[in-house]
Amino acid sequence: MYIDIHKHLAQFDDIPGTCVFTAQRARQGYWLNQFCMSLMAAENRERWKSDEQAYLEAWPMSGDQKQAILDRNYNRALELGGNIYFLAKVFATDGLSFVQAVSTMTGMAVEEYQAMMQSGGRLPEGLRSIKGKY
Amino acid sequence: MARITAGIGTSHIPAIGAALDQGKAHEDYWQPVFKGYQWTKKWISEEKIDVVILVYNDHASAFDMNIIPTFAIGCAEQFKPADEGWGARPVPDIIGHPDLAWHIAQSCVLDEFDMTIINKMDVDHGLTVPLSLMFGRPDVWPVKVVPIAVNVVTYPPPTGNRCWALGEAIARAVASFPENLNVQIWGTGGMSHQLQGPRAGLINQDWDKRFLDGLSGADDTLRHIPHVEYLRETGSEGIEMLMWLIMRGALGDSTKQMHRHYWVPASNTAVGHLVLRPEEKKIL
Repeated sequence: MYIDIHKHLAQFDDIPGTCVFTAQRARQGYWLNQFCMSLMAAENRERWKSDEQAYLEAWPMSGDQKQAILDRNYNRALELGGNIYFLAKVFATDGLSFVQAVSTMTGMAVEEYQAMMQSGGRLPEGLRSIKGKY
Repeated sequence: MARITAGIGTSHIPAIGAALDQGKAHEDYWQPVFKGYQWTKKWISEEKIDVVILVYNDHASAFDMNIIPTFAIGCAEQFKPADEGWGARPVPDIIGHPDLAWHIAQSCVLDEFDMTIINKMDVDHGLTVPLSLMFGRPDVWPVKVVPIAVNVVTYPPPTGNRCWALGEAIARAVASFPENLNVQIWGTGGMSHQLQGPRAGLINQDWDKRFLDGLSGADDTLRHIPHVEYLRETGSEGIEMLMWLIMRGALGDSTKQMHRHYWVPASNTAVGHLVLRPEEKKIL
């Protein structure tokens, strides 16, 4: 069945608190994500840890993207084309688990976030659609 | 002839691998997660499987932003566990089955599924955690593995219908492989979870359970679920459940549920697990 790509993509703007990793974001975030990927190599992780700013200079990322990474502002990095599995290389290098890193995007303290998960997670009610409010 | 004798669905949460590797499986937090796999561990030890076709997704480990194959098939002799930033998991290398893998690749391409053939790749938690869940911590994995990596990271991932149909094509390919092999197909990932943004932590137990229900029997409604429904209902990473549809598609017209397990949470995620047998269609 033929799916119109424009209609398909338009639906994604209606999901609250979520950056879908579309082609547009993948293009915008190409170097940001490739920078993250470079941290897969142990020697790069050492260079990154010794001087983050200097390490970023070698990467043709936007100033905003660099700042978002230096600030560990993952919500901003997602908006600027970062993908969570690539950004994971940054927080893994910081020694953070997925739960610790993910909680920083929710505005909750990690203990609060863990307690929410323990009691069944965040309920979908009201979080499926911005327009439809359901 | 080779034949697919069972299908397994399971989450592949990295924290499960870490818990097993660090000997934390007995802890209160993890007990309910692992308890639901005990039935399968016993069952599978008696199944005498030769090969597992293991459908999973790479999480920016083997593939970066330079190469994004929609459907990739691992044809190598062996695959190493990937270093995902925490060091590689201390698990054995994965032994491939190049004869079967190349046969599936050729058969699928002629069946109009244009697979990407991969001769060298490291495999991440998406592939190794399901193996650990079913086989524990052996020195050598007791099965050979044909990895099938699906892009569910960069949009658009394949449609559910396409995944189901790929499963059907894989089943045709296996059935035409001349060697007598007992093959299982595993679909991994999910269930509901979101690892990003202010909506992170989303879990939808009702939806997950309906999805598990829909994999048994002769109904094929699940193949028509649009991407946006996964996103709205199951969180941005719930889209991984597409990979269960490849497993289901490969089991033919109808399936029988042998075992089922569901638990919230493991890390950020709902854990789902299912064992299915293909069932002959009843002719009335």
